[in-house]
Amino acid sequence: MAENREPRGAFEAELDPVEYTLRKRLPHHLPRRPSDIYVNMKTDFKAQLARCQKLLDGGARGQNSYSEICIHGLGLAINRAISIALQLQVGSFGSLQVAANTSTVELVDELDPETDTREPLTRIRNNSAIHIRAFRFAPK
Amino acid sequence: MENFRKVRSEEAPVGGGAEGGGPGSSPFADLAPGAVHMRVKEGSKIRNLLAFATASMAQPATRAIVFSGCGRATTKTVTCAEILKRRLAGLHQVTRLRYRSVREVWQSLPPGPTPGQKPGEPAASLSVLKNVPSLAILLSKDALDPCQPGYQPPNSHPGPSSQPTAPTSKRSLGEPATGEGSAKRLQPGPSAAEEERMA
Repeated sequence: MAENREPRGAFEAELDPVEYTLRKRLPHHLPRRPSDIYVNMKTDFKAQLARCQKLLDGGARGQNSYSEICIHGLGLAINRAISIALQLQVGSFGSLQVAANTSTVELVDELDPETDTREPLTRIRNNSAIHIRAFRFAPK
Repeated sequence: MENFRKVRSEEAPVGGGAEGGGPGSSPFADLAPGAVHMRVKEGSKIRNLLAFATASMAQPATRAIVFSGCGRATTKTVTCAEILKRRLAGLHQVTRLRYRSVREVWQSLPPGPTPGQKPGEPAASLSVLKNVPSLAILLSKDALDPCQPGYQPPNSHPGPSSQPTAPTSKRSLGEPATGEGSAKRLQPGPSAAEEERMA
Protein backbone atom coordinates (compact mmCIF):
# COMPACT_ATOMS: atom_id res chain seq x y z
CA MET A 1 0.00 0.00 0.00
CA ALA A 2 2.54 2.53 1.09
CA GLU A 3 4.95 1.52 -1.63
CA ASN A 4 2.65 2.66 -4.41
CA ARG A 5 2.05 6.07 -3.04
CA GLU A 6 4.88 8.13 -4.51
CA PRO A 7 4.02 11.67 -5.62
CA ARG A 8 5.11 12.28 -9.16
CA GLY A 9 5.97 15.94 -8.94
CA ALA A 10 4.07 18.03 -11.42
CA PHE A 11 1.12 15.72 -11.86
CA GLU A 12 0.10 16.00 -8.25
CA ALA A 13 -0.75 19.66 -8.69
CA GLU A 14 -3.65 18.77 -10.92
CA LEU A 15 -7.13 17.86 -10.01
CA ASP A 16 -7.28 14.36 -8.74
CA PRO A 17 -10.70 12.82 -9.00
CA VAL A 18 -10.18 9.49 -7.42
CA GLU A 19 -12.08 6.91 -9.34
CA TYR A 20 -12.66 3.61 -7.74
CA THR A 21 -13.56 1.84 -10.93
CA LEU A 22 -13.36 -1.51 -9.29
CA ARG A 23 -15.51 -0.51 -6.44
CA LYS A 24 -18.34 0.33 -8.73
CA ARG A 25 -18.13 -3.17 -9.97
CA LEU A 26 -18.98 -5.15 -6.88
CA PRO A 27 -16.56 -8.04 -6.34
CA HIS A 28 -17.05 -10.41 -9.21
CA HIS A 29 -18.83 -13.70 -8.48
CA LEU A 30 -20.72 -11.84 -5.83
CA PRO A 31 -23.80 -10.06 -7.05
CA ARG A 32 -25.13 -7.99 -4.28
CA ARG A 33 -27.13 -10.60 -2.50
CA PRO A 34 -29.16 -9.23 0.36
CA SER A 35 -26.88 -11.06 2.73
CA ASP A 36 -23.84 -8.98 1.74
CA ILE A 37 -22.88 -5.98 3.80
CA TYR A 38 -20.25 -3.53 2.62
CA VAL A 39 -18.76 -1.61 5.51
CA ASN A 40 -17.58 1.95 5.06
CA MET A 41 -16.22 4.67 7.29
CA LYS A 42 -18.93 7.19 6.59
CA THR A 43 -21.93 5.44 8.04
CA ASP A 44 -22.29 5.26 11.77
CA PHE A 45 -20.83 2.16 13.35
CA LYS A 46 -23.90 1.40 15.40
CA ALA A 47 -26.11 1.68 12.36
CA GLN A 48 -24.03 -0.84 10.44
CA LEU A 49 -23.91 -3.16 13.41
CA ALA A 50 -27.67 -2.95 13.82
CA ARG A 51 -28.16 -3.69 10.14
CA CYS A 52 -26.01 -6.81 10.34
CA GLN A 53 -27.77 -7.95 13.47
CA LYS A 54 -31.13 -7.44 11.81
CA LEU A 55 -30.08 -9.54 8.83
CA LEU A 56 -29.11 -12.36 11.09
CA ASP A 57 -32.14 -12.18 13.32
CA GLY A 58 -34.67 -11.41 10.65
CA GLY A 59 -37.76 -9.32 11.03
CA ALA A 60 -39.81 -8.85 14.12
CA ARG A 61 -41.65 -12.08 13.59
CA GLY A 62 -38.52 -13.99 12.71
CA GLN A 63 -39.07 -13.93 8.98
CA ASN A 64 -36.44 -13.42 6.35
CA SER A 65 -33.35 -14.02 8.42
CA TYR A 66 -30.19 -15.20 6.79
CA SER A 67 -28.19 -18.09 8.07
CA GLU A 68 -24.99 -16.62 6.72
CA ILE A 69 -24.01 -13.06 6.02
CA CYS A 70 -20.87 -11.75 4.45
CA ILE A 71 -19.25 -8.56 5.68
CA HIS A 72 -16.83 -6.84 3.33
CA GLY A 73 -14.37 -4.11 4.21
CA LEU A 74 -11.84 -2.24 2.10
CA GLY A 75 -8.78 -0.44 3.41
CA LEU A 76 -9.55 1.45 6.57
CA ALA A 77 -12.91 -0.25 6.82
CA ILE A 78 -11.15 -3.56 7.51
CA ASN A 79 -10.88 -2.60 11.14
CA ARG A 80 -14.50 -1.67 11.29
CA ALA A 81 -15.59 -4.86 9.58
CA ILE A 82 -13.65 -6.91 12.12
CA SER A 83 -15.21 -4.94 14.98
CA ILE A 84 -18.67 -5.53 13.61
CA ALA A 85 -18.06 -9.23 13.18
CA LEU A 86 -16.62 -9.62 16.66
CA GLN A 87 -19.43 -7.62 18.22
CA LEU A 88 -21.97 -9.81 16.47
CA GLN A 89 -20.20 -12.84 17.83
CA VAL A 90 -20.14 -11.49 21.35
CA GLY A 91 -23.80 -10.60 21.19
CA SER A 92 -24.83 -14.01 19.98
CA PHE A 93 -23.60 -15.86 23.03
CA GLY A 94 -21.42 -18.22 21.08
CA SER A 95 -23.84 -19.36 18.42
CA LEU A 96 -22.14 -17.38 15.69
CA GLN A 97 -19.00 -18.44 13.94
CA VAL A 98 -16.86 -16.09 11.90
CA ALA A 99 -14.44 -16.91 9.13
CA ALA A 100 -12.33 -14.30 7.40
CA ASN A 101 -10.78 -14.22 3.96
CA THR A 102 -8.51 -11.54 2.63
CA SER A 103 -7.91 -10.31 -0.86
CA THR A 104 -6.38 -7.49 -2.81
CA VAL A 105 -8.46 -5.00 -4.73
CA GLU A 106 -7.11 -2.76 -7.44
CA LEU A 107 -8.13 0.86 -7.31
CA VAL A 108 -7.73 3.20 -10.21
CA ASP A 109 -7.02 6.87 -9.70
CA GLU A 110 -7.80 9.17 -12.53
CA LEU A 111 -5.87 12.39 -12.68
CA ASP A 112 -7.40 15.09 -14.81
CA PRO A 113 -4.92 17.72 -15.87
CA GLU A 114 -6.52 21.06 -15.32
CA THR A 115 -3.87 23.33 -16.70
CA ASP A 116 -2.90 21.46 -19.81
CA THR A 117 -4.80 19.64 -22.42
CA ARG A 118 -2.99 16.49 -21.57
CA GLU A 119 -4.90 13.30 -21.39
CA PRO A 120 -6.02 12.01 -18.06
CA LEU A 121 -3.48 9.89 -16.36
CA THR A 122 -4.51 6.76 -14.59
CA ARG A 123 -2.70 5.31 -11.67
CA ILE A 124 -3.35 1.93 -10.22
CA ARG A 125 -3.13 1.24 -6.52
CA ASN A 126 -3.65 -1.88 -4.56
CA ASN A 127 -5.67 -2.04 -1.41
CA SER A 128 -6.41 -4.81 1.01
CA ALA A 129 -9.89 -6.11 1.53
CA ILE A 130 -11.41 -8.47 3.99
CA HIS A 131 -14.46 -10.67 3.62
CA ILE A 132 -15.87 -12.02 6.83
CA ARG A 133 -18.49 -14.70 6.78
CA ALA A 134 -20.68 -14.91 9.85
CA PHE A 135 -22.86 -17.94 10.14
CA ARG A 136 -24.94 -19.58 12.77
CA PHE A 137 -23.15 -22.64 13.80
CA ALA A 138 -22.96 -24.58 16.98
CA PRO A 139 -19.37 -24.39 18.23
CA LYS A 140 -17.63 -27.73 18.48
CA MET B 1 -3.97 13.93 26.99
CA GLU B 2 -1.23 16.29 25.91
CA ASN B 3 0.07 16.48 29.45
CA PHE B 4 0.66 12.79 29.54
CA ARG B 5 3.11 10.53 27.89
CA LYS B 6 2.77 6.82 27.39
CA VAL B 7 5.00 4.83 29.62
CA ARG B 8 4.20 1.31 28.55
CA SER B 9 1.53 -0.75 27.02
CA GLU B 10 0.74 -4.38 27.48
CA GLU B 11 -1.24 -6.63 25.30
CA ALA B 12 -3.14 -9.73 26.21
CA PRO B 13 -5.96 -11.67 24.66
CA VAL B 14 -9.37 -10.94 26.11
CA GLY B 15 -10.49 -13.50 28.61
CA GLY B 16 -7.06 -14.29 29.93
CA GLY B 17 -5.83 -16.28 26.96
CA ALA B 18 -8.33 -19.06 27.12
CA GLU B 19 -8.67 -19.07 23.35
CA GLY B 20 -6.34 -20.93 21.03
CA GLY B 21 -2.89 -19.67 21.76
CA GLY B 22 -1.93 -18.75 25.26
CA PRO B 23 -0.01 -15.63 26.16
CA GLY B 24 3.40 -15.60 24.64
CA SER B 25 2.78 -18.35 22.13
CA SER B 26 1.77 -17.99 18.54
CA PRO B 27 -1.94 -17.60 17.83
CA PHE B 28 -1.69 -20.61 15.55
CA ALA B 29 0.07 -22.90 17.94
CA ASP B 30 -2.39 -25.66 17.09
CA LEU B 31 -1.86 -25.45 13.35
CA ALA B 32 1.78 -24.54 12.90
CA PRO B 33 3.81 -24.57 16.08
CA GLY B 34 7.09 -23.83 14.36
CA ALA B 35 5.92 -20.85 12.37
CA VAL B 36 7.86 -17.62 12.29
CA HIS B 37 5.80 -15.04 14.14
CA MET B 38 5.82 -11.55 12.68
CA ARG B 39 4.28 -9.03 15.01
CA VAL B 40 3.07 -6.07 13.01
CA LYS B 41 2.89 -2.85 14.97
CA GLU B 42 1.46 0.47 13.92
CA GLY B 43 4.82 2.00 13.09
CA SER B 44 6.30 -1.04 11.38
CA LYS B 45 7.62 -0.46 7.91
CA ILE B 46 6.19 -2.86 5.40
CA ARG B 47 9.46 -3.03 3.50
CA ASN B 48 11.35 -4.19 6.54
CA LEU B 49 8.73 -6.71 7.51
CA LEU B 50 8.58 -8.18 4.06
CA ALA B 51 12.33 -8.31 3.64
CA PHE B 52 12.57 -10.43 6.74
CA ALA B 53 9.55 -12.53 5.84
CA THR B 54 10.74 -13.25 2.31
CA ALA B 55 14.17 -14.17 3.58
CA SER B 56 12.69 -16.55 6.16
CA MET B 57 10.36 -18.20 3.70
CA ALA B 58 13.17 -18.59 1.19
CA GLN B 59 14.66 -21.19 3.47
CA PRO B 60 12.99 -24.52 2.78
CA ALA B 61 13.03 -25.34 6.47
CA THR B 62 10.50 -22.61 7.27
CA ARG B 63 7.10 -24.05 6.51
CA ALA B 64 4.81 -21.35 7.83
CA ILE B 65 4.72 -17.73 8.84
CA VAL B 66 2.24 -15.85 11.00
CA PHE B 67 1.42 -12.16 10.77
CA SER B 68 -0.41 -10.71 13.72
CA GLY B 69 -1.45 -7.18 14.44
CA CYS B 70 -4.10 -5.35 16.38
CA GLY B 71 -5.79 -1.99 16.44
CA ARG B 72 -4.28 0.36 13.90
CA ALA B 73 -1.91 -2.26 12.61
CA THR B 74 -4.70 -4.52 11.37
CA THR B 75 -4.77 -3.14 7.84
CA LYS B 76 -1.00 -3.30 7.64
CA THR B 77 -1.11 -6.96 8.66
CA VAL B 78 -3.50 -7.78 5.84
CA THR B 79 -1.37 -5.83 3.38
CA CYS B 80 1.81 -7.65 4.41
CA ALA B 81 0.13 -11.01 4.04
CA GLU B 82 -1.29 -10.10 0.64
CA ILE B 83 2.04 -8.87 -0.68
CA LEU B 84 3.78 -11.98 0.55
CA LYS B 85 1.14 -14.15 -1.11
CA ARG B 86 1.76 -12.33 -4.34
CA ARG B 87 5.47 -12.91 -4.14
CA LEU B 88 5.22 -16.53 -3.11
CA ALA B 89 2.45 -18.35 -4.86
CA GLY B 90 0.86 -21.46 -3.49
CA LEU B 91 0.56 -20.49 0.14
CA HIS B 92 -2.36 -21.71 2.20
CA GLN B 93 -3.93 -19.14 4.43
CA VAL B 94 -5.92 -19.21 7.63
CA THR B 95 -7.22 -15.98 9.11
CA ARG B 96 -8.36 -15.60 12.68
CA LEU B 97 -10.07 -12.66 14.32
CA ARG B 98 -10.18 -11.99 18.01
CA TYR B 99 -10.20 -9.22 20.53
CA ARG B 100 -7.10 -8.18 22.36
CA SER B 101 -7.09 -6.02 25.41
CA VAL B 102 -4.38 -3.43 25.50
CA ARG B 103 -3.48 -1.76 28.76
CA GLU B 104 -1.68 1.51 28.33
CA VAL B 105 -0.10 3.32 31.24
CA TRP B 106 0.28 7.05 30.85
CA GLN B 107 2.19 9.26 33.20
CA SER B 108 1.71 12.95 33.60
CA LEU B 109 4.55 15.08 32.38
CA PRO B 110 6.40 17.27 34.81
CA PRO B 111 4.83 20.74 34.86
CA GLY B 112 7.73 22.78 33.40
CA PRO B 113 11.05 24.38 34.09
CA THR B 114 9.75 26.22 37.17
CA PRO B 115 9.92 23.54 39.82
CA GLY B 116 6.43 23.27 41.16
CA GLN B 117 7.30 19.96 42.71
CA LYS B 118 10.39 18.10 43.63
CA PRO B 119 11.76 15.85 40.89
CA GLY B 120 11.42 12.84 43.10
CA GLU B 121 7.70 13.21 43.47
CA PRO B 122 5.68 10.45 41.79
CA ALA B 123 3.81 11.64 38.73
CA ALA B 124 0.13 10.91 38.34
CA SER B 125 -0.42 7.92 36.18
CA LEU B 126 -3.39 6.83 34.18
CA SER B 127 -4.18 3.35 33.05
CA VAL B 128 -6.33 2.83 29.99
CA LEU B 129 -7.78 -0.51 29.07
CA LYS B 130 -8.88 -0.84 25.46
CA ASN B 131 -10.44 -3.72 23.64
CA VAL B 132 -9.12 -3.65 20.12
CA PRO B 133 -9.89 -5.98 17.26
CA SER B 134 -6.93 -8.00 16.09
CA LEU B 135 -6.07 -10.23 13.23
CA ALA B 136 -3.73 -13.17 12.86
CA ILE B 137 -2.93 -14.58 9.44
CA LEU B 138 -1.12 -17.85 8.96
CA LEU B 139 0.55 -18.48 5.62
CA SER B 140 1.83 -21.99 5.13
CA LYS B 141 3.61 -23.86 2.40
CA ASP B 142 2.04 -27.12 3.49
CA ALA B 143 -1.62 -27.79 2.95
CA LEU B 144 -3.84 -26.97 5.89
CA ASP B 145 -7.17 -28.32 7.00
CA PRO B 146 -9.81 -26.71 4.77
CA CYS B 147 -12.46 -27.15 7.44
CA GLN B 148 -10.81 -24.53 9.58
CA PRO B 149 -12.84 -21.35 9.76
CA GLY B 150 -10.99 -18.70 7.84
CA TYR B 151 -9.22 -21.08 5.49
CA GLN B 152 -8.33 -19.73 2.08
CA PRO B 153 -6.68 -21.93 -0.54
CA PRO B 154 -3.85 -20.55 -2.69
CA ASN B 155 -5.08 -18.98 -5.89
CA SER B 156 -3.40 -18.47 -9.21
CA HIS B 157 -3.98 -14.70 -9.28
CA PRO B 158 -6.72 -14.38 -11.83
CA GLY B 159 -7.61 -11.08 -13.45
CA PRO B 160 -10.85 -9.30 -12.59
CA SER B 161 -12.63 -10.78 -15.56
CA SER B 162 -12.27 -14.43 -14.67
CA GLN B 163 -15.40 -16.46 -14.32
CA PRO B 164 -16.43 -18.86 -11.62
CA THR B 165 -15.79 -22.09 -13.47
CA ALA B 166 -16.88 -25.35 -12.00
CA PRO B 167 -14.20 -27.09 -10.01
CA THR B 168 -11.89 -28.89 -12.38
CA SER B 169 -9.35 -31.54 -11.61
CA LYS B 170 -6.82 -28.91 -10.58
CA ARG B 171 -8.95 -27.94 -7.66
CA SER B 172 -6.51 -25.86 -5.69
CA LEU B 173 -5.56 -23.65 -8.62
CA GLY B 174 -8.82 -23.66 -10.48
CA GLU B 175 -10.89 -21.57 -8.10
CA PRO B 176 -10.40 -17.91 -8.97
CA ALA B 177 -10.69 -15.07 -6.50
CA THR B 178 -10.75 -17.32 -3.53
CA GLY B 179 -11.88 -14.67 -1.13
CA GLU B 180 -15.08 -14.00 -2.96
CA GLY B 181 -15.47 -17.45 -4.36
CA SER B 182 -15.52 -19.24 -1.09
CA ALA B 183 -17.94 -16.75 0.33
CA LYS B 184 -20.39 -17.53 -2.42
CA ARG B 185 -21.09 -20.95 -1.09
CA LEU B 186 -23.81 -20.73 1.44
CA GLN B 187 -22.94 -23.65 3.65
CA PRO B 188 -19.49 -24.41 4.96
CA GLY B 189 -20.31 -28.11 4.44
CA PRO B 190 -20.13 -28.52 0.66
CA SER B 191 -17.03 -26.39 0.36
CA ALA B 192 -15.21 -28.56 2.85
CA ALA B 193 -16.33 -31.66 1.01
CA GLU B 194 -15.06 -30.27 -2.26
CA GLU B 195 -11.71 -29.33 -0.83
CA GLU B 196 -11.29 -32.65 0.88
CA ARG B 197 -11.67 -34.48 -2.39
CA MET B 198 -8.51 -32.77 -3.50
CA ALA B 199 -6.60 -32.87 -0.26
